[in-house]
Parts: sequence; structure tokens; C-alpha cells
Amino acid sequence: MAVTPPLKTVGQMRQGDHLLLGYDTDEERETVLVAFLLDGLASGQRGLLLPPAGIPAGVALSFLEAHGCRVDEELAAGRLRVDPHLAGPEGLWDLDEVIRRETRSAVGDGFLGLRVCTEVLRAQAGKELKTLHDSELLLGPVFSSLPVLGICQYDRRIFDETELGPLAGLHHGRVGADAVWRDDVLAITRTFAPPGLALAGEVDDTNVTAVARALHTETARARARAADGARIHLDLHELRFIDVGALRLLAFTALGLYAAGGTLELSGVAPHVQRVMRVTGWDRVPGLHIAPEGQEGEGP
Amino acid sequence: MTGFVHQALRHASDGQFRDTAAAFVRDGLHAGDTVVVVSACEITLLAESLGSRFRPVECFDAHDWYDHPSRTLRRYHPYRTRQEPNRRVRVVGEPVGEGRTDFETREWMRYESLVNVAFAGSAHWFLCPYGTRVLPETVARSVTRTHPELVHEPGTAADCTDPAEFGAECDELAPARLPAAAAGIPFTRGRAAVVRRALTAYARRLGLPEQRTYDLLTTVHETVVNAVRHGGGHGVVRLPSDRDHVICEVSDSGAHTVPPHPPLPGHLPPEPVAVSGHGMWLVRQLSDLVTDRLDPSGSVVRLYFRRPGRGHPAAGSVNS
Repeated sequence: MAVTPPLKTVGQMRQGDHLLLGYDTDEERETVLVAFLLDGLASGQRGLLLPPAGIPAGVALSFLEAHGCRVDEELAAGRLRVDPHLAGPEGLWDLDEVIRRETRSAVGDGFLGLRVCTEVLRAQAGKELKTLHDSELLLGPVFSSLPVLGICQYDRRIFDETELGPLAGLHHGRVGADAVWRDDVLAITRTFAPPGLALAGEVDDTNVTAVARALHTETARARARAADGARIHLDLHELRFIDVGALRLLAFTALGLYAAGGTLELSGVAPHVQRVMRVTGWDRVPGLHIAPEGQEGEGP
Repeated sequence: MTGFVHQALRHASDGQFRDTAAAFVRDGLHAGDTVVVVSACEITLLAESLGSRFRPVECFDAHDWYDHPSRTLRRYHPYRTRQEPNRRVRVVGEPVGEGRTDFETREWMRYESLVNVAFAGSAHWFLCPYGTRVLPETVARSVTRTHPELVHEPGTAADCTDPAEFGAECDELAPARLPAAAAGIPFTRGRAAVVRRALTAYARRLGLPEQRTYDLLTTVHETVVNAVRHGGGHGVVRLPSDRDHVICEVSDSGAHTVPPHPPLPGHLPPEPVAVSGHGMWLVRQLSDLVTDRLDPSGSVVRLYFRRPGRGHPAAGSVNS
């Protein structure tokens, strides 16, 4: 389940970007689209959703409601639009023309540009995805010349990585959710399959509070997902250093989850971190699971 | 009757050791106790005397077991939780006496004293044999101060000293002069990452193996965090390494308030759910030897890491 790191986070996108979003869960898709569309509203750009099926606009955008967006009002004002173009059997053929026209129309209506999100059903992608490839290829010049930025969504449960790789090559790379935290030495990002957080870099007394905050928020999400037994996964593959204070926080967080029937699962725990956890007894804290991987030999 | 017992057996002959230890082991097996024998060379003596009944005894080579005092203390702890009610853990523990530097010898004397605190209230029964023919005089004498009971010495009263007091005496002997170090690495609150970078580069220059590098990073980092927290917020890391050890010295300028540090900091395992105490415990476990002078007017903690290829501590590099 090696995930190619996203080139950009959604918050770093700017005009001209044409990025691919490969998502594992609906939560991941919605997390990225919420940021993308709300950033557009904040930036004076129109948001355009091209869904793969003919769904009522209010329903297609209903995931924005939970983030304080009044979808009906935004649709009525033309700040958000939903176009069922891609739900038609020939939708991909003139996608470049549609986006070109929509961008000009947004500018004509007084917006500073257009943010577009597309998604197609596999059935429309053509034999060996040929139609899809051709369509993506034609989008290049549109994004490079007009005030538009876009995300093409691909469900990774339907398109596998051998298909997404070449498709990503027709974009300016990939996009992922915004980092929860980023400083000189640490990046905290959300993961969606399994749901949790990934820590990359170093955690010490300067940024342990950011980890605590992220874990706290993630705990609330996990509880919302599963009333009985919140499970949080922490991906530590890219973690180079974590100090005792931060490991103590993980142990306490695990104990808290355990008290409510939940667990904190750690993967990618480096041998030197496992050694510290063994010496402190934190490897045996109830609720804390360390995924076995690699072998470790403790020195004499 | 399963209270903690810590006895020294000073013996002048193999026969005397064998008879006493064999009886000790035999009684333990008979009572259903867990019996552990850690010995450098005397296991065979015991095995001969006990024959097949020796089988349930857990045996360890003292050169592996008595490698670094803090780690040795930790090795005896798991037996606590394995213990059934009304059963003892009997230990014949023979620390390696020969080939230690003065520094190491002193830390092993301190270790014997700490056993009294670390296992107070446990069902451990330690029998510590000391062969007086080969033992340094200082060690043979210290045994009366680190063990509450002496076996087969009706004429000698044990003069067991409070471990904190005994430890303070060990500290007094400490100031081995260190080589002058190049410019130190200053640190302040929130700047521990700078120290970690410098130490990583230092360990790379020395060619330390990866695991040792992490040990160095982790222990110095925790010591620095402690210095920032309790020592006035800033200090300096110096690296006065010598022929045998990589040495990291963390000093601070002191908080000038009464230090809140507990007695015997880091010598006893903290509960996993404790709010503090894991840092110093880890520092002692991951380094080879530690000296600490914790003082409100400025603390100095020195961490020693035996250099790769500079001899096993028990194999002896006589240099102080």
C-alpha cells in the first residue's frame, strides 16, 4: 500500500494547476474537495463540480454543509455550480471545450477564475482508458492558458496504481489533503486508509503540542466513525526522532482510547523507537498496538 | 515469609561457595521458588554438586548479565511480575569483580546498594558471592555496607548504609579529570534539535553504529530537556571523549531554586503511566555509565558510551 507522496497539498494549489487526486475513501475525497472549493469561495473564484452522475446540485455538494457553507445560497448566487456534463455518455469528448467555456463564463460573471473538480465513471473511460487519456491530454493547454485550476478525482478502489501512474503523468502531479501541522522539523498529515495520522520528521518538546492537538481532533473523528471503540492509526514510517515526552503522550492517548474500548495503532515504528518503548514499558500499555515489522536486535 | 533478602557471601574457597550456594538452590527448588544463577565461572561447580536437580534453574553468564549496572538492575525486574504468591525469586548473583576500572568498580558498588531500594518489598532473595582471593580490597570492604546480611560471618556485623548516602559517597569519588573538549554545543529552551544535529554529525565522524548513534541522540536529548526544564533554561553539551569512551557532558547554569529531583533519579523503573521519570531512566538504560551532579546552582551529567572495539566491560580495560 505504498502511496506516492502528493506533490502538492490542496492549500498550495494556484491558478494553472491541474492535479490528480487518487482517493481511498469518501472521507478523503470530501476532505480535499471541501478545502479546494472553500478556498475558491475565499479567493473570489467560482467552484464547478462535474460529477460522474446526474445528481441534484444541492445533494452533490451537501458535504460542504458540515463546514459552514450554505450550499443553496452559494448555488443561487452562482458562486458554486454543478454541471452533469460528465454523466452523459459522450461527456469526455469535449471536456476541454466545456472547461474553456466555463472559465470564460466565470470571468464574464465577475469571478477571479474557476475551480473545477471532475470525475468519470470507469465505463466512460474507454477501452484501456484511451478516451480518458485523450481527454486529460487535451486539458493541458486549457489550464496553462486560462485562470482556472482543477482536480481530477480518481477512486483508488476502482482505478489501480498501474492505471493512476500514467494518468498522473498527464497532470502537474498529485494533490492530497492539507498538512495538519508543518514546521521546520515535523509534518503531520491525515491518512484515510486506515484512518489516522502520519508523522514525518522529528517530534520533541517544541512541537509535541501540535501532535496532541492532532490526536485530539482525530480521536473525535474516530469516535464519530465508530461509537464503540475508536481506532486511530499512526503511520510513523517517516518519523526520524521522537522524544520521551511525546512517546508518553502516545501512551496516555492509547490509555484514553482503551478506556472507551478503542486502540491506538502504530505502524512503521523504527527499531530505536521500539527499544525506547520497551525500556519505558510503553510497549505494554493497554490500547497501544505496535504493528510488527522488521526485526530488531537489542544490543547487550 | 517471602520478604526481600540481600545477602553477601564472602568466601575464600570454591568449596565454601559451592556448599552454601548448592544448599541455597536446593532449598529454593524444594520450596517451588524461581531460582536464577548468574555466575562467571562457578556455574559448573554448582552443577556438579546438584546434578540433574539443577535443570529448572535459570542460568546466565555473568559477563553478559553484569555488563552495565543500570541494565543489570532492569534485568531482575521482570521476575517480580512472574512471581507466584508465596514463592520467592532466589538469585545467586556473582558480579564480575576482575578487570574493572576504578570508575566501573565504584558503579558496581553503587549497584549493590541500589538493589536494596529497587527490590525492597519484592520476594527476591539475593545471595551475592564474593571471592575474597581475587577481589579488590575496596570492594570486599564495601560489601558490608551494601548488603544487609553477611552469610557465615557471625563475627562481622553488617553495616548497611542508606543507598542515597552511599551513592553520594560514590559521587564524591567521581571527579576523574576529563580531556579538554572542543567548543561545546550551547542549548536553550526549544533548541534541542540543534544539539541533535551536532551529535549526529559527531557520531558519524566517530563511525558509531546506527543503534549507538540513536542511543547517544536519545540520551543526550533527554538530558538536555531535563537541563532546560530544571536547570535554568540553558546550558552546554561538551564532548570530552577519551580513549575508551565517547563522553557527552551536559551542564546547565542552574535554576537556583530547590531542585525537585527525586532521590536516586533514573535508578528505579518508573511506572509506565507515571507523569515523569522516564527520561533519566532511559538515559541510564541506553548509555553505559552515567555520573550526575544535580545541583540548583548548576548540574553536570556525564554520559559514557564505551567505544566500539574498546573491550567488553568485563574483559577489562584497566584505565581510569
